[in-house]
Amino acid sequence: MSMTAIATQALTKVYGGGRRGPTVRALDDLTVEVREGEIFGFLGPNGAGKSTTIRLLLGFLHATAGSASILGLDAAQDSVEIRRRVGYLPGGIALYDGLTGQALLEHLAALGGWATPRRAELCDRLELSQRTLGRLVRDYSRGMRQKIGIVQALQHDPELAILDEPSEGLDPLMQRAFYGILEDLRAGGHTIFLSSHVLSEVERICDRVAIVRAGRLVALEDIASLLARRKRRVEIRLAGPGPDLTRVPGVSGLTATDGRVELSLDGDVGPFLAAIAGAPIVDLTIEPARLEDAFLEYYADAEAEVEPATEAAS
Amino acid sequence: MNGALLAFTWRQQRVKLLVVAIALALFGMLLVVVYAAFGRDLRAVLESGLIPQGMVDLMQQLSGGGDIFSLAGSVALGMVHPISVALVCVFAVGFGSAAVAGERERGTLEVLLARPISRRAVYATLFAALVLFVALAVAAQLVGVGIAAAATGVSSELDVANLPLLWLNDVLLFVALGSIGLAASVSSDRLAPALGVTLAVTLIGYVLEFLGSVWPDAKGIQPFSPFHYLQPSQVLSGKGDPLDLLVLAGIAIVAVGYALVVFPRRDLAAPT
Repeated sequence: MSMTAIATQALTKVYGGGRRGPTVRALDDLTVEVREGEIFGFLGPNGAGKSTTIRLLLGFLHATAGSASILGLDAAQDSVEIRRRVGYLPGGIALYDGLTGQALLEHLAALGGWATPRRAELCDRLELSQRTLGRLVRDYSRGMRQKIGIVQALQHDPELAILDEPSEGLDPLMQRAFYGILEDLRAGGHTIFLSSHVLSEVERICDRVAIVRAGRLVALEDIASLLARRKRRVEIRLAGPGPDLTRVPGVSGLTATDGRVELSLDGDVGPFLAAIAGAPIVDLTIEPARLEDAFLEYYADAEAEVEPATEAAS
Repeated sequence: MNGALLAFTWRQQRVKLLVVAIALALFGMLLVVVYAAFGRDLRAVLESGLIPQGMVDLMQQLSGGGDIFSLAGSVALGMVHPISVALVCVFAVGFGSAAVAGERERGTLEVLLARPISRRAVYATLFAALVLFVALAVAAQLVGVGIAAAATGVSSELDVANLPLLWLNDVLLFVALGSIGLAASVSSDRLAPALGVTLAVTLIGYVLEFLGSVWPDAKGIQPFSPFHYLQPSQVLSGKGDPLDLLVLAGIAIVAVGYALVVFPRRDLAAPT
């Protein structure tokens, strides 16, 4: 049985109130569990509460209500010990511009009293040469800064890595290298908590995903089961009359025009394939379900829930 | 306290510290050289009655109440002179107010606090660095005084045994101001408010002390200024009041206590 790396229980963060302006519920009653050894995606648009959650986990913020534990330690009471065992990449990381890349990595490791068993390997995989590391950080491009950010978060081989928008600024080749690093970490039993709004990234590397909206959890599922429940888009081009697909389980949104049939398909594809067997098909396209569709669907559902409530209130 | 952070802070500030220390040492030397060159002549001019007694009294008040035409008076003037105050304030006000708020504004506090260091340890380290920088800067000025006094042959006019107490008095004043700067720094997300508050406290304090010195009716406001508790003339004449040191230490303790309570409890939202 897998252990829990991160657990939040009704975690809530409220800003403002009184003289500090209107109350804002940045995070509302968040309860999630991240298992040890998994890559967990934390999805949501800007302002959804992703960074607030991370900052609560690391002790930058104090919860208004609820609790969080990381690696079995209380996030509020044991923050220093938690940070000893965690690697953190802040979103849009700021670095000490007056240091060289090498000096910066050494300084950040020394601050934590950490050995850096993974630094050389990470620099190699992210193509940070000795020459590059010898240059001042102020001369680095955005992508190079992000690479340094990734190395500083992982160089001490932490049990848990908390990465806020980690692939931001990386080119496609470096993104691929980065995903390889994450997969190797997972294979080594490490846990990755990754916040992102790059859906293809989450779909590709995460085992499970939580979707947050306006501070609330709207979905928490395996990527595989999330995608399995999403609708695939199907397009059929026919040379003659097509079969009747209206009663096929999982088929919806059926439209037929000029020998071209479009539909949405969810669930088991078997009944659909059986129904079209023998039809005069010229071309058949089944687009795989994408996390983006699932994500947008969740947001559409959440909007629909909010709108009637707003109308009722007004 | 975190040794790596202290070493890093030292490396970041050492060039600035060297420049300030050299400037303070030169300033300390200058006043002694001026005294050695012109002090006796100026005293003769004063005693001749050419300069109105009111003007003489004012100059003595501005120098901390001592005899401005003695070596001790010159040294005392150097300790309260706006130039030396401004130079030490590079660290007391500048470093103090920027230590946390500056890192926060740049976003680097995030990276620092992602390490296993408590906020209290970060504060304690920065406070230790502040004390170190102020102590070295003030010491540089007194070393300059000592060198110039020896070089000009007037060192016998100064009781060297009183210099450590003068150093302590001056260090405590600027550590008190720096503690206020650090307290403002840990309370703010931006450098400008922290710097503004610290600068305001320092300037108002200096003006209150100055006004009380030149305007007898305003003497009552002097005790509200931290600068009132720097009494170099009294210290150099062996009549320093331990209460002055206690008041300055008290200001620092209150500011440190405030910061140690407020900083760990603050919410550090994502930098914007």
